[in-house]
Amino acid sequence: MSVPDQITEPLEDWLTQQRWFASKAREVASAKILERVPLSDAPALEIDILEARFHAGTHELYQLLPGEPEGVRVLARLFGTQTATDCVAFHGGLEPTGHVRSMGAEQSNSSIVFGEQQVLKVFRRIEPGINPELEMLRFLSTRDFENIATLTGWYDYTGDLMQATLGILQEFIGEARDGWQLALDDPLGLLHRLPELGTATGRMHSVLASDAADPAFAPEEPSAEALALLTATIDEQIERAFLDLPDDPVLAPIAGRGEEVRDRLQLMSHVGVGGRIIRHHGDYHLGQTMLRDAGWIILDFEGEPARSLRERRRKRSPLRDIAGMLRSFAYAASASEVLRGVPAPEGWEERARKAFLDAYLGAVEPTLLPAGQGAIDKLLAIFELEKAVYELHYELNNRPDWVPIPVAGIARLLDVEVTS
Amino acid sequence: MTAAQNWFESDPLWFKTAIFYEIHLRGFYDGTGDGHGDFRGLTEKLDYLQWLGVDVIWLLPMYPSPLRDGGYDIADFYGVHPDYGTMDDVRAFIEAAHERGIRVIADLVMNHTSNEHEWFQEARSSPDSPKRDWYVWTDDPTMYEDARIIFIDSETSNWTWDDKAGAYYWHRFFHHQPDLNYDNPEVREAMLDVLRFWLEAGLDGFRLDAVPYLYERHGTNCENLDETHTFLKEVRATVDDEYPDRVLLAEANQWPADVVEYFGEGDECHMAFHFPVMPRMFMALRREEAAPILEILAQTPHIPANCQWGLFLRNHDELTLEMVTDEERDYMYEEYAKDPRMKINLGIRRRLAPLMDGGRDEIELLHAMLFSLPGSPVLYYGDEIAMGDNVYLGDRDGVRTPMQWTGDRNGGFSRADFAQLYAPPLMDPVYGYQAVNVEAQLRTPSSLLRWLRRFIALRKEHPVFGLGSFEAIATTNPKIFACIRTYEDDVVLCVHNLARSAQAVELDLSWYNGRYPIEMFGRTRFPKIGELPYLLTLAPRGFFWFRIEEDDDERA
Repeated sequence: MSVPDQITEPLEDWLTQQRWFASKAREVASAKILERVPLSDAPALEIDILEARFHAGTHELYQLLPGEPEGVRVLARLFGTQTATDCVAFHGGLEPTGHVRSMGAEQSNSSIVFGEQQVLKVFRRIEPGINPELEMLRFLSTRDFENIATLTGWYDYTGDLMQATLGILQEFIGEARDGWQLALDDPLGLLHRLPELGTATGRMHSVLASDAADPAFAPEEPSAEALALLTATIDEQIERAFLDLPDDPVLAPIAGRGEEVRDRLQLMSHVGVGGRIIRHHGDYHLGQTMLRDAGWIILDFEGEPARSLRERRRKRSPLRDIAGMLRSFAYAASASEVLRGVPAPEGWEERARKAFLDAYLGAVEPTLLPAGQGAIDKLLAIFELEKAVYELHYELNNRPDWVPIPVAGIARLLDVEVTS
Repeated sequence: MTAAQNWFESDPLWFKTAIFYEIHLRGFYDGTGDGHGDFRGLTEKLDYLQWLGVDVIWLLPMYPSPLRDGGYDIADFYGVHPDYGTMDDVRAFIEAAHERGIRVIADLVMNHTSNEHEWFQEARSSPDSPKRDWYVWTDDPTMYEDARIIFIDSETSNWTWDDKAGAYYWHRFFHHQPDLNYDNPEVREAMLDVLRFWLEAGLDGFRLDAVPYLYERHGTNCENLDETHTFLKEVRATVDDEYPDRVLLAEANQWPADVVEYFGEGDECHMAFHFPVMPRMFMALRREEAAPILEILAQTPHIPANCQWGLFLRNHDELTLEMVTDEERDYMYEEYAKDPRMKINLGIRRRLAPLMDGGRDEIELLHAMLFSLPGSPVLYYGDEIAMGDNVYLGDRDGVRTPMQWTGDRNGGFSRADFAQLYAPPLMDPVYGYQAVNVEAQLRTPSSLLRWLRRFIALRKEHPVFGLGSFEAIATTNPKIFACIRTYEDDVVLCVHNLARSAQAVELDLSWYNGRYPIEMFGRTRFPKIGELPYLLTLAPRGFFWFRIEEDDDERA
């Protein structure tokens, strides 16, 4: 069976309706199947690689998945037999079985649960190189890091176009609640569990930085220009974000203060280079964590899907993950009000930050961070600013109701005393 | 499948939309503290190059060499000069570059070797040596007398007597660089093996140095011969067959009509430098008129769709004036080489910023024109921060001084003692490292470096500049250079004012009636295009780049 044969409308129209299609803001000029990879004869199964071309002349590639549940079941069998064709190979040895259902509400990938035991995550947009999720899970599993869902298999493509990871198979975490839901349902209860999350995060970073012999993971000294390059990049993002800021009362706390934000960034960047750059989670926030009785599970090591795969594999300061988590506390505090109409408990965000950070700093290998609390605070603030500026841009374009959150985040950084 | 391909999507035309960056390894960054730049140092600076938006690093020759011609005198094709590191350092560097999405090409001199190369040492040792016929010998130094002498400042003949060999040997460049004999099939096969060795090490291609001179024939000027093209086609076929997605960039300092021969039917070199357009950009700026650029573009033949021009403002050599008329050359010397020390051979040995008297508007305008032309821009290290030159250093070393990273000792280039450095960094008050360095410009949002990075990013958002058609627009004002680039639905209008004064220009854009020009830097929408000529006013040495957006009604 093949997907394109079952699509009756023009491929372009079909593609743009898919949830996982990454470039919804752009107009697709044309779409076509670049390659069909037969995987099995009886029953017939193939994977197709679709190319979307844009008017400017750029393109993106996507993996089309055979239909559910039959096609997916055939695919699952290939993990068991460790099938390898000319260009697609399955690794693992354990065939996922049981009731097949797809998980809803996903953006960039498709996940299928087998018998509530295993989950197959299919990467839809494909890019050359190993997917960081596979790379990170393999690394963490072999070093006995417990706060992850066990990797049980993967499949990849090696063809004329590129080498790429197509999907991974992983233990399914069923009986657990994700950190984001917890923050909304039981914010005070969550506060008590945040130190555990901070500790797990600190350990995760320490483990990720533990193998100097593996070039993909060996911690590195930041280059002499590292901070200046980062600051210059964020400075440009701020400039661009403020360039076409709409006239809206919601933006009042930061309106016309673009230059002030940029000056603030300059001040914060006056911090000596220090710490290490390491592989890190890359898209860390409450929604990427699950709490079960045995403790926290950290999910989704794919990095930010909007960034290129190469960018996502880059080593950076572990504080970038921490900034992501702290920003999600800010979101959670406001979401309670926006989504539930219930304000978060008084001072919740500050308490959450402290609970998480204190535990993290106690658990992480200290040489990974800049020396001294002042330097840590400044670098963290730079990363938080980077996130908040990105959020501002994103929310303005996608979720106007949420704009006050990054606005408050940016305003907050403007009001913090910067010590030298 | 080699490691290199793991980081790139297969795309035989990748080089057409790439930004190239030329590096003098010795001068870039000293990672070992011995006073010379090296591969370890360069690897440390990859983040900077990635940040800048560089797609391809072009390395000057890094092979073992007596360095009597900046490394273009290769003594061993199968290694690296010990000053630069080891083969392991090279492989680690290539891998680190690929991880960042940066490809690497290197200079390869096919025409000649150093006289210290063991092939030449064997060849000269006896007329019976199996390597004798790898070089070109004669008893009659009047042979091939129609071939010009290239290094007129230092050489008097293309033949040099060798006592040991008891014969004259042929050399188109310095006398210590004997030409290989491409009539000998062993030489051709040996050179293919050299290519294979480096492609296997991960290189993404070569800049083929001095390709017009491979063969000699009586009664010709010994340049651009058919035999040369036949061999280059064989090189291309070998590379395509064994190492797909690599690039061959020809250095053929010739007129466009001759250079296009190096593209063949799209089956020879992927790229070739467009030499003649370069001095004409400088000339156009001084004369405040677009004519020199328009004329040379009009003389430039179409090239096969799978080929690309390499475009540059400055490089590691002199600003060459071989491809201009005598009159034009006099004009260029008059305007750009007021001190006779600035001249060398048929050219001017200065960097971009001093040529522009440090004028920021002029530097930006030249980059804008360069980026608007059909081809892939090749930047020269240091020009992104407006580094200067040192005309008191010999040969072309004045434009190869240490990269200025910081305002610290040695410009942050090396931790070695000053006396140990391969060349002194610039220390003059205008272009010295305390005034001009990467660190300071990174911190200054309005710096040339920060501007250029944004400009590179802008160009890369639009493959039209690398892939699209090019059409110069006739204007009512000769001081304006304007062109339209089109690829698929992307239409870009570039308008440049060459004058020192503000100018108005009327452009016939009626073809785009009903559409809107959107200025590309600030995303400002300009008035709708109508049937009448479109009026633009430009600041002195100013330019506008517009995307021509479709009418809203049309789009809906």
